[in-house]
Amino acid sequence: MSRWIRIVGAAFTGLTGAACLAILTMVAVILGDIALHGWPHLSWEFVSTAPSANLAEGGIFPAIFGTVALVLLMTVAVVPLGVAAAVYLHEYAPPGSRFVHVVRLALQNLAGVPSIVFGLFGLGLFVRFTGGGVDRLFFGGALTFGQPCILWAALTLAVLTLPTVVVATEEALRAVPRSYREAAYALGATRWQVVWHVVLPQSVGGMLTGAILAVSRGAGEVAPILFTGAAYYLPHLPSRLNDQFMELGYHVYVLTTQSPDVEATKPVLYSTVFVLLGVTFLLNLAAVLVRSGIRRRLRQT
Amino acid sequence: MTPLLELRDFSAWYGDRPALRGVSLEIRAGEILGVIGPARAGKTTFLRSLNRMNDLEPGFRTAGKVVYRGVDVYGEGVDGAALRRRLGMVFAVPVPLPGTIYQNLALGPRFGGRRGDLDARMEESLKAAYLWEEVRDRLHQPAFTLSGGQQQRLCLARTLMLEPEVLLLDEPCSGLDPLSTARIEEALQQLKDRTTIVLVTNNVMQASRVAVRTAFFLDGRLVECGPTEQIFVRPKETVTHDYISGRFG
Repeated sequence: MSRWIRIVGAAFTGLTGAACLAILTMVAVILGDIALHGWPHLSWEFVSTAPSANLAEGGIFPAIFGTVALVLLMTVAVVPLGVAAAVYLHEYAPPGSRFVHVVRLALQNLAGVPSIVFGLFGLGLFVRFTGGGVDRLFFGGALTFGQPCILWAALTLAVLTLPTVVVATEEALRAVPRSYREAAYALGATRWQVVWHVVLPQSVGGMLTGAILAVSRGAGEVAPILFTGAAYYLPHLPSRLNDQFMELGYHVYVLTTQSPDVEATKPVLYSTVFVLLGVTFLLNLAAVLVRSGIRRRLRQT
Repeated sequence: MTPLLELRDFSAWYGDRPALRGVSLEIRAGEILGVIGPARAGKTTFLRSLNRMNDLEPGFRTAGKVVYRGVDVYGEGVDGAALRRRLGMVFAVPVPLPGTIYQNLALGPRFGGRRGDLDARMEESLKAAYLWEEVRDRLHQPAFTLSGGQQQRLCLARTLMLEPEVLLLDEPCSGLDPLSTARIEEALQQLKDRTTIVLVTNNVMQASRVAVRTAFFLDGRLVECGPTEQIFVRPKETVTHDYISGRFG
């Protein structure tokens, strides 16, 4: 009996450990393969120049630029909206209210929607409806905002990442001790003063965690920007909100599927994927550094 | 003399659970009222009903009246935040907020919309809380670096920054060593000249040392209330006597 239990125990330890090893192996293989094949073709020229028309030569600078611009725009849109929603849900709405329940249900649904559906949704709501409406109202029907562009792509990604930001912010709000709120109320604070002076400063870290997760998610998505703004090839960089743009993930898709000579584009493809991972990592790192800076400043006071 | 604060047949519930049952009590300007009673007697609910701290509690209901300066605080159009500035509160556990000692002290006036120089009032409040000598050189250090007893005196000073008319203290010494307790009691003795104090305490001896009048609560009811000496020496009710002499609770 006791021997049997020992065997089961050892087997269980082995199985759970093996699962962890499998994860490590997968990540190592993916990263190793990309690094191995992506590194040789990398050069300053590759990351700083535009591709030639057939995409197999030249660099990918417009795609890097477009990705960073897209993600920054998305962050600017999603963080205030997500934080505001979370603050209402957690600080203002009466607990157990029907409205809160419905909003949470909506968020869960939003998180479960396939990303290609967001792409179509963005095309319908932002490009056609909003953009088209703006054109009719302000530009006399001339095609200005009623076309795929970086603004609509960023907003589509913002909708996609909204649940992430709301959930992370709510988590942070929940972590603020009740006693802090009570102490502030007892000092004659109104509800918004409690939120503004006590609760929000304490939850900045969590909000930025939400932003970081949103960046990670948003930077890698291709489907939502497919119809809402990403361009196959552009000779110039986007300079206005209603410009189209190149993007690394989309560029990878294009290189893989649209090239007549797969072997010729392979080195470019590998290096592009390498750069995509690198850019995502750097965007994350930037957000993490901002967060730790803010946390340090909070701890000092 | 009309009382500063008055409860008229006041009852309170948390959801279905009654916490106060038909309490009528007067609090006079300038007195220290001690509130004693065993756990769950309704002492804290009583205190938090005076400045409407329980507004935040979901399911909290009241009946009857709490009258402050002739106004029913549960009536229409009463500004809870303004009320809490007049009836300042100190909790059982010291709650310094993140930030420096200075920032903690500035919070109350800032919530009240007051700008300008607060240094003079800070010195006065810290002196009144018997903390000035210990922190005068470190006002810009984090409040968390203070000891537990110092933190509680900081919380007292922070409440005094509001210049409250009534000071509501909820077992303010429950987690403190005897020396810190003595400091706070000294501070209260000095403060009674300019504020009215309601002191909820689990420590019967503290009430006998500090309070002018003492109220004994049991099971959500006010059993009796009178001059402290009378409550301690010849209480009207036997339960009061039993509680004070440590026979239950």
